[in-house]
Amino acid sequence: MWNKSAEAKPSSQASDTSGPVIPAPAANTQQTPDTAAAPPTPQNSAPVHPAAPPSTIVTTIAAGLKISGEISGTTDLYIDGEAQGKVRLPNARVTVGPNGRVQADIEAREIMIEGTVLGNLKSSERLYLGAASRVQGSVLTPRIAIEDGARLRGKVEMVRASGLQFDSSAETSVEVGKAKAMSASGKDE
Amino acid sequence: MSWQAKPRLIATPVSDARAKPGPSAVATSSANVRVSNGLKEFLWLLSDSKQGRILDLGQVSQATLTFFIEKGFRVSTEDLLRAWKEFLVAEEENFRTAPVGNGVAEVSPTIFADKFLESALEYPAEHFHGVLAWDIFDYLDAQLLPKVMDRLYTILQPGGAVLSLFHSRTPERFSRYRISDPQTIELLPASTLSVHARIFQNREILDIFGKFRSSKTFVGRDQVREGLFLK
Repeated sequence: MWNKSAEAKPSSQASDTSGPVIPAPAANTQQTPDTAAAPPTPQNSAPVHPAAPPSTIVTTIAAGLKISGEISGTTDLYIDGEAQGKVRLPNARVTVGPNGRVQADIEAREIMIEGTVLGNLKSSERLYLGAASRVQGSVLTPRIAIEDGARLRGKVEMVRASGLQFDSSAETSVEVGKAKAMSASGKDE
Repeated sequence: MSWQAKPRLIATPVSDARAKPGPSAVATSSANVRVSNGLKEFLWLLSDSKQGRILDLGQVSQATLTFFIEKGFRVSTEDLLRAWKEFLVAEEENFRTAPVGNGVAEVSPTIFADKFLESALEYPAEHFHGVLAWDIFDYLDAQLLPKVMDRLYTILQPGGAVLSLFHSRTPERFSRYRISDPQTIELLPASTLSVHARIFQNREILDIFGKFRSSKTFVGRDQVREGLFLK
C-alpha cells in the first residue's frame, strides 16, 4: 500500500487549499413557539437550533418523571426526566434536556440532545449535540451540529435528507451502506 | 519501500486575522495548528477506500467528522482516554463502597485493563480502514497499552493505518486534536484529562506497534513525532 505511484503520492510541501468548507450555522435566535414552551435550558436560544416549523404542542416528560415503553405520535417531545424503550416521532422534534436520561432509540425529524442518551439516534432533518450531552449509540442524520464538549461514543453516518425515511418496520440499525455522504453543518465551539 | 517524505511539522500559534471564517476561525484564537505530513500520508493511504470506516479515538469534533464525512467515510468516535478515566473513577467508587472481604478488592492494573476492554473498543474484526489515535498512547497506563494495541490491530483491516502522535518531552498542556484541512491538525487546549504517562523512544514506538507491518514517522520542529503504522 505504501508503494503507490509517485504522482499519486501527496507532496509533503504541497499546499492544499481544498479543505472542507464548514458552513457556519445559521443564526437563529428567534424562539419558536415550541422552544419557548419547553422548560428553560441553556440551549433554548442556541444559534444552532433549527428553524423548525411552528408547533403549538410540546409534550414534556419533566425531571423526576420516569416513563417506559414506546412513545410515538406527531407532537414535539421534551424529555427532562427518564425514558426507556423507544421514541418514534418521525415528524416532530425530540429534545432531551440537561436532566434527561434516555435509554432508547430515538427517531425524529429533529433531535436535540443536552442530556444523556443510550441508544441510536435517527433524524430525518438534523441532530444537535449540546456541550453537556452524552450519547452512546449510532447516529444517522443528514445534518449534525456538535458543540465542543459533547461526548459521543458510536458511529456517525450522514445521508441526504431525501434518502432517510422512516418506515413502519422500525428499523433501528443505522447501517445504511449505500447512503450518500453529505456535508454537516453547525458549529464546533 | 522507500521513505522520502521530508519531515516538516510546524507548530505555530494562530492569531491571524485572515483565518477562514466560520466555526473554525472561532477556535483558532486559542489553538495551535500544525502542518501534518502524517495526516497527509494517512489520507493518501485511505484514498483507495470507498466508503471507508474511520475510528476517532479522541474527543468528538464537528470539524473532524465533517472532514471525513464529506469524503464519503463513515466515522466512529470513542473518546478512549475519557472512557478510561471514567472507568477508573467508577472502579474506585466500587472499591470504596465494597464491603470488606468482598472479591472486588482483588484488583490489579491488568485486571482493570481487561475489564475496561470488555466494554471499550468493541468492534468487529477488521472493521476499520483507519484509526486516529492522536497522542493517547502517551497517556495510557503501561498495562493497558499493549492490550489496546492488540485490540486496534484486530479491528483494523489489513492495509489499514493508525495515525498517532508521540511527544518527545512532557507537553505543557493537555490538548485535543481536530482536522481542519488535509494537511493541518489543530491542537485545542483542554482541561487535563490524564497525566502524561511516558515519553516513548523510537525503539519503544516500534515495539508497541510490533505487529504492524510497516511504520513511518515524521518529526516536527516541536519534537512531536507523528507515526503512521500500517497493518
